Amino acid sequence: MRMARPDPLAGFERQTHTVNGVKTAVLTAGRGEPLVFFHGAGTWHGFKFALPWTEKFRVIVPFHPGFGESGDDPGLSDMHDYVMHYLDLFDALGVDKLRLVGFSLGGWLAAKFAMEHGRRVERLVLVGPAGLRGKTRPTGDVLSLPPEQIPALLVTNFDVIKPYLPEGPDLDFMGDRYREGGTLARLLWEHPYDQKLSRYLHRLTMPTLLVWGEDDRLIPAAQAEIWRSFIPKADIQIFKGAGHLVLDEKREAVDAVQRFLA
Amino acid sequence: MSGTVRFDFMHFMPYVHLPENHKDYKSLWVDFPNKYYDPKKGHALYQRYLAELLLADKVGFDAVVVNEHHNTSYSMMAAPSLIAAAIIPQIKNAKICVWGTPPNLEYPNRLAEEYAMLDVMSEGRLEVAFPLGTGMEYWANPINPATARERHRESIDIILQAWTQDGPTTYYGDFYTYRYLNPWPKPYQKPHPPCYIVGTGSPETVELAAKLGFGYSSVFVTKQRALELNQNLRRQAAEHGHHIRPEQLPLQVITYVAETKEKAEEEAVEHIRFFFEDALRTTPTFLAPPGYLSVAELKKRAALADKLHGAFNFDNINESFFVAVGTADQVVEQLEEWGARVGTNHFNILGAIGNMPHWKVVKNLTYLGQDVIPRMRARAASDRRVAAE
Repeated sequence: MRMARPDPLAGFERQTHTVNGVKTAVLTAGRGEPLVFFHGAGTWHGFKFALPWTEKFRVIVPFHPGFGESGDDPGLSDMHDYVMHYLDLFDALGVDKLRLVGFSLGGWLAAKFAMEHGRRVERLVLVGPAGLRGKTRPTGDVLSLPPEQIPALLVTNFDVIKPYLPEGPDLDFMGDRYREGGTLARLLWEHPYDQKLSRYLHRLTMPTLLVWGEDDRLIPAAQAEIWRSFIPKADIQIFKGAGHLVLDEKREAVDAVQRFLA
Repeated sequence: MSGTVRFDFMHFMPYVHLPENHKDYKSLWVDFPNKYYDPKKGHALYQRYLAELLLADKVGFDAVVVNEHHNTSYSMMAAPSLIAAAIIPQIKNAKICVWGTPPNLEYPNRLAEEYAMLDVMSEGRLEVAFPLGTGMEYWANPINPATARERHRESIDIILQAWTQDGPTTYYGDFYTYRYLNPWPKPYQKPHPPCYIVGTGSPETVELAAKLGFGYSSVFVTKQRALELNQNLRRQAAEHGHHIRPEQLPLQVITYVAETKEKAEEEAVEHIRFFFEDALRTTPTFLAPPGYLSVAELKKRAALADKLHGAFNFDNINESFFVAVGTADQVVEQLEEWGARVGTNHFNILGAIGNMPHWKVVKNLTYLGQDVIPRMRARAASDRRVAAE
């Protein structure tokens, strides 16, 4: 008998909005100023780490179209389409100014949103952001990895994510991951990075925090310095004993984000 | 049978000189190191394989079939039009089927030109197919698998426009812009060479063939799936106002003929084993790059793959796939039965199987040419007379 996997969305209230025709699921919890979290390319490990932020903020975690509980929209074919999607969603949610936290793919998206709509983003946190090519410290190409090898690559302590993974072959889990991989391919198969990103990062004039797990094996922590070299006001916090999923692995990282945003 | 019968000889031109440790590699596709390719051995194989294609023409096959794959020992035909060009001046009667270059892997105008050249060079003996390309091709080429199906449809649309409308025309698409679509030459056959979609029977490719009224050349489908595929294609094509003729549904059959059933199996089974166990060996990730399949189709195939796991077993392969290994009488009977069952009179014979040596291919082709093809033609002709009376 297999143990039921924990609900990766426990603690959040679920809402659904239709944004420009695409069903968009939004998790919310807490009260206060809005804090929006942009997730990465895999949603299976949930957002439990974000619950401490609800003590001070109204935490809003939207599923990007093509991921998790949101619907598919093949018309969204580049990162800018997602920026436009979030302009619409924030209108629907009545969110104007916000604190923005983005992880991995969501970090890239958060940086892009903030460089285009900087006046709305009061503080920005990029956690292990994707988006740079990192010629000498290259970003791992998650699209070319066999899906079953990905989870172990993301953490230093596998026990942290183990409860969220099926114990054996699981067609539904496989299908969900394949769907998210397909969305990712549509966005960035040709270029798993944005050559123009460094050209415009100087537009991130809001206070910005870069958070990384020291042992990130997907996007090396050494890339933090590249980001900082382009962003006017950026601090870096690197956490030992953590991999790419630094927020899942290190409560200290979650607290550091909270202190920075407060 | 509808009174005629057609035989194609399909060659994959495998590179068969694998290193002793090749079983250490999970895949002989995509990332199988090309240091194992020896061009001298490659040259000898080309000489041999080209001769086998010509022999098929000599012994009476109606067509020879070539196709395209990349990054693999499975096939030495990264550019099948080159093979077609090499054999056209030497092939006397047979049609030349390039089944084919995935249109996504070339500029559509260029593929339209290439095929038109071959059609003109062969005096209208070309047939073409438009595969989407296996998942593996998308790891080897810089084309997005997640938009492959949309690009595929647009590419075919451009090629057909280039062939059927007098140029110059324009095309403003999602993937390509043509300000002057005006290829020289245009095809010899009017409006264009016979066209097929190639595939394993996914709902998307069947629907595409139905919409265009194209034939469908199925590859490595199980007996059950072939039956469903042909039924679905006929029904869906009718909804689009097309009538699919039996000859548009080539049935791929692994075929080997010898003096006795025992001898045929003794000579063929090891190569069929090589074909399934080694030549086709690859990983689930290479088979299905992200976005290449719908989620439903991925789950269906993953469930099926679980069933096919385990050691090679000829009886299982025989049970699931179209494999005709035996005497000429047995092969004739088998092909007629399957043809009647799935509603075709067009057999795409895989007669150079896996790492089969030259002498066996020659023997097989000779038996097929002497004892199988003429007999089936005669029987089909007598059916035709009976039907006419």
